[in-house]
Amino acid sequence: MKSINILIAVLLLCTSTITAQIRNAATATVKIYGNCEICENTIEKAGNIKKQASVNWDKDSKLATVIFDSTITSSDDILKRIAIAGYDSDVYLAPDKSYASLPDCCRYERVNKTASHQSMKPGESHSVHTKGESPLQQVNPLYKVFEEYFAVKDALVKADESTASAKAKDLDAAVNSIKMSALAENEHEVFMKVMKDISFDAEHIGDTKDVGHQRDHFTSLSKNIYELLKITKFKVTVYYQHCPMFNNGKGANWLSKENTIKNPYYGAQMLTCGKTVETIQQ
Amino acid sequence: MDIQNISSKKVLSLVLFLIITQLSFAQKVVRYDLYVKDTLVNYAGKVKRAIAVNGQIPMPTLTFTQGDTAEIYVHNELKESTSLHWHGVFLPNQEDGVPYLTQMPIEPGTTHQYRFPVIQNGTHWYHSHSGLQEQIGMYGSMIFKKKQNDPTFRRGIDDLPTVPVILSEWTNINPDNVHRILHNANDWFAIKKGATQSYAEAIREKHFNTKLKNEWKRMLAMDVSDVYYEKVMMNGTTNEQLTQFKAGDKIRLQISNGGASTYFWLTYAGGKITVVANDGNDVEPVEVDRLLIAVSETYDIILTIPENRISYELLATSEDRTQSASLYLGEGIRQLSDRLPRLKYFEGMKMMNGMMKMNGDLDDMGMKMSLNQMDMNVVMYPEITGDKKSSASGHRSHTGHGENQYNANALSDIVTLNYAMLKSPENTSLSPDAAVKELRFELTGNMNRYVWSIDNKVVSEADKILIKKGETVRIILYNNSMMRHPMHLHGHDFRVLNGQGDYAPLKNVIDIMPMETDTLEFAANVEGDWFFHCHILYHMMSGMGRIFTYENQSPNPLIPDPKYAQRKLFADDRMFHFMAQNDFATNGNDGSVMLQNTRWSIGTEWRLGYNSMHGYETETHIGRYLNRMQWLMVFVGFDWRYRKMGIDEHEKNIFGQQNKKDSRSAVSLGFMYTLPMLVNFQAEVYHDGIVRLSLMREDIPVSKRLRAGFMLNTDKEYMVELNYIFNRFMRARTHYDSDMGFGVGLALNY
Repeated sequence: MKSINILIAVLLLCTSTITAQIRNAATATVKIYGNCEICENTIEKAGNIKKQASVNWDKDSKLATVIFDSTITSSDDILKRIAIAGYDSDVYLAPDKSYASLPDCCRYERVNKTASHQSMKPGESHSVHTKGESPLQQVNPLYKVFEEYFAVKDALVKADESTASAKAKDLDAAVNSIKMSALAENEHEVFMKVMKDISFDAEHIGDTKDVGHQRDHFTSLSKNIYELLKITKFKVTVYYQHCPMFNNGKGANWLSKENTIKNPYYGAQMLTCGKTVETIQQ
Repeated sequence: MDIQNISSKKVLSLVLFLIITQLSFAQKVVRYDLYVKDTLVNYAGKVKRAIAVNGQIPMPTLTFTQGDTAEIYVHNELKESTSLHWHGVFLPNQEDGVPYLTQMPIEPGTTHQYRFPVIQNGTHWYHSHSGLQEQIGMYGSMIFKKKQNDPTFRRGIDDLPTVPVILSEWTNINPDNVHRILHNANDWFAIKKGATQSYAEAIREKHFNTKLKNEWKRMLAMDVSDVYYEKVMMNGTTNEQLTQFKAGDKIRLQISNGGASTYFWLTYAGGKITVVANDGNDVEPVEVDRLLIAVSETYDIILTIPENRISYELLATSEDRTQSASLYLGEGIRQLSDRLPRLKYFEGMKMMNGMMKMNGDLDDMGMKMSLNQMDMNVVMYPEITGDKKSSASGHRSHTGHGENQYNANALSDIVTLNYAMLKSPENTSLSPDAAVKELRFELTGNMNRYVWSIDNKVVSEADKILIKKGETVRIILYNNSMMRHPMHLHGHDFRVLNGQGDYAPLKNVIDIMPMETDTLEFAANVEGDWFFHCHILYHMMSGMGRIFTYENQSPNPLIPDPKYAQRKLFADDRMFHFMAQNDFATNGNDGSVMLQNTRWSIGTEWRLGYNSMHGYETETHIGRYLNRMQWLMVFVGFDWRYRKMGIDEHEKNIFGQQNKKDSRSAVSLGFMYTLPMLVNFQAEVYHDGIVRLSLMREDIPVSKRLRAGFMLNTDKEYMVELNYIFNRFMRARTHYDSDMGFGVGLALNY
C-alpha cells in the first residue's frame, strides 16, 4: 500500500513537472514527413524549446504531438523550425538545401512537394501512365526472374531465411528455364554475361539457412539483376537503393518496387536505413 | 467671318480649359496628417516603449504621383521633440527634416507642415532624424509613382502590381542604452550573438594563432554588425503572406531598409530576383540570386511565382545571420528558402589580421577594391567558401591569391548583386562645362572606443564644406576603418562611377566596405545645408558625417539662431557616455565610474577595504585620447589613499622611492598607451617625484562568458582576476590583490 502511494506521488510529480514546463499549454497533432529514428531525433530537437514547445513525433504514423505555450509561440513556428531542419509538413516545405543535407536514411519521400508539382502538369503524368501499359500485354520471360528476385528480397527484409532459401531456388529455376531465343538482342547479350553468377548466388542462398550468408550473396546477386533489369523494360518503376553500412561500410545495393526504404541487409535492425540512388522508369 | 470668329473663340476657350486642367493636375496637393505618439509594444517577449505614427509601426506608406505637391502635417504628441526626413527626396532645404540644421525640432504639442513639390519618381522612405527615434518605430515607405505618360515608363516593369516593403529591426534594450553600451566596448551583444570569438573557441576551431595575432594587432573581436537584435521585421512583422497572387504572376516589391544598423540579405525560394531600381532610380533589369541591402538603401525587385498551391518565401536575413523575417508570395503550402549558415568568424579574423598593419591602417595588398565587387567577407560565408571543415583553403588553392579570391560571383554559382552590375537606362552624365570640385574623404574610426569619423574628425570638429551652385562635386571615398558604412547624401542623387560610362547609376546611399575606394559625383543644384553621413544610426550619432553648404546662400528662415542651432547639432557627437561598476567582494570593494566621449575620458577608480590595514584608495584621471587609433591617452591624475601601516613599515617601489605616510594625496601627470595584446601601459609621475609604471589588461576573453584580467605596477602591487558574465549587469568575480588578498564577489556594472 505504502509503495503504491509513493508510486502515485512520483507519478503525480512527474506529470506536474511535465506540465509545469510549458505554461498556457496548447496541444496540436500535425503531420511531419520523415523515415527513421534519426529523423525523429532531428525533428524533435528542431521543434523543442525549453519552456516553450515540445514535440513528440511517431515515425510510423508520421504524426507529431506538439505542446506549446500559446501566448508566445504557435504550431506554425514549430513546424517552420522543423522544416528548416529539413522536414516537410502540411504547412511548410523544407528548404531544398536542408533536405539535401539530411543523412541518407532520412531522405523521405517529399509527398507534398511532388503532389504540388504533379498537380501542375496533370496531362503529362497521365500520358506517361498510358504509354507504360502496352508492353504489359506481352510478358517478357525475364519478368519471372525479377519477380522471384523481389520475393527473395522481401524475405530478407523480414530476415525470414527459409522463405529466402525457397524463393532463391525458384529464382535459380527461373533463370535456367529462360529460352535465349525469346530474348531481345541486347537482353540476350547481358543475360549471357550475368546468368552464371545469378545462378551461383541463387544456389548458395537456397542452400543455407544462415541469413548472414544469404545477405552476402544477395549483394552480388542484386548487382547482376540490376544490370539485367536496366536494359529490360520492366512493367513498373524500379528503385535501385543503397545501404551505406553493409559489408563493413563498403555498402551494398538492392532493387525494390517501392521508393520507401526497406533494407534487406539489416531488416528490422535498421529497416529504413538507405537511399534510392537510381530510379529505373518502366 | 462670324463662324470663324466663334470657332476661334471656342478653340481659345478649349485651350484655356486644357491649360487650367493641366495646371490643376500638376498642382494636385496630396495631404497627409501624421500623429506621432508614444506607445507600448511587445515584439520580443517584453513590453517596451516605441513610437507609433497614426497608431502604427511602421509609419503609414505615403504615396504621391510625380507632379503632385506633398503637404504633410506632423502633429507631435510625444513628450520630446521630433522631426521627419524624406530620404532620397529632392526638395527645398528647409523641408529636409534635419533638426538644428534645416529646421528647429518639432516641439511636443506642436504641428509642423512640410510642403514640397514631388519632382521625381521611385521608391523612397522617411524617418525621424531626431536622436534614436528611428530605432523604435519612426520609419515608413514613401512611394512616388510615375505619371502614366512618363517617357521613361517601362512596360512589363512599371505596370506590375507593387507592394511596398520596409525592413527594420527591434531590440528590447532602450536605444540610448544600446548607444551607451557600444561606447563602453561592452561585449554583451557578442555574447548574445554567439560571436565572442574567445580563446577557448579559437582553440576548438584550431585558430589559436589567429586569435593571438588579432590581439597582438590590438583588435577586439569583430562582427559584421554591432548590435544584437531580438527581431527583424518586414512591414513590422516577421511573417507576412500575400495570397492574392497566382502562378505566373510577377510582383514588384519596393523594398526600403529602414533598419537603424542592420544590412539585410534578400533571397527568394521561387527563383531569381530581378532588380529594376535602386534608391528610387531605374536601373536596367539585372537577374541575381541574392542581394545585400545596405542600411537606408531602397531596391525595387521583381519576383515571379512559379507554381500554384505553393507560396514562396522571400527571406530577409540580418547580415550577422542571427535573425530573419519572411514574406510569403502566393497561396498554399509554404516553400522555405535556403537558410544562410552561420558566419565563420575566425576566417574573418584571419582575413582582418592579414589586412591590418601594426599602425592601425588597412592594407589592401595592391587589390583595388570598389563597388562591393570583391567582398572580403566571403571568407566568412560558408555558402560561398565552403563550411568550416573543408574551409576556404580548397577554394583558394584553385583561384590562387589573385583578385578573384574575394569575388563571390567567381567563387560560386550564386550570383550576388554588386554596384558594378547597376546601369541606368538613361544617360546620367553631368554637364561637361561645369567646374569640378574634387573632394577626398577617408572614413576612419576605431571599434575599441566606438569612434567613427571622416578624416579622423567628427561633425563637431570639422568645418562645413563649401560648394558652389552649378559646379560638379566629385567625392573620392576611401574606407580606412574596419566596418562597412552606408554613406548617404541629403537632397541630391550622385552618380556612382562604376564603369558604365554615361549610364552610371544614380544613388543617394553607397555602401563602402573596408579598404574600398569609390568615386561619386553630383551636380550642386539646390542651395542649403545638406548632411552627408553614415546611415548606421549609432555611427551617425557618434559624429560620422559632414555638412555641405552652398557659398553665399540665403539664410534658412526656419533657423532663427544659427549659432544656437549649431551648438545643439554638435551636442550629438560631443555627448558623454556614462559607465559604472563595482565589485562587492569579501575583501573589499573594487569599482569605477567613467564618463567618455570622442576624445575625453574622465574616470575614477576605487579600492576600498573593510579595515584600515587594507586601506582605502581612489584614483581619478582626466585624459584626452590623441591619435587616430586612440592608443595614446595623456592624463592628469588625482590620487588619495589612506592605509594604516605598522611601525617602521615602509612601502618602497622598485626605484627605491619611499612612501612613509599612512595618508597620501597626490597629483600626477601621465599617459596610457595600448600595447600589442591590448595591454595598457600606464606611466605617471606624482608631484612629490614618485614615479609609477603599470601594466594592465581587462576582459581577456577566455571563453564565451569567462574574462580574465591582471595588473602589476612598480609599487610592487599586483592583481589577477577572473570574471564570469551572468548578464548585462552582473558578473561573478574572483581576484587576488597584493594589498587586500583573495576575494570573491558579485560585480555589478552599468
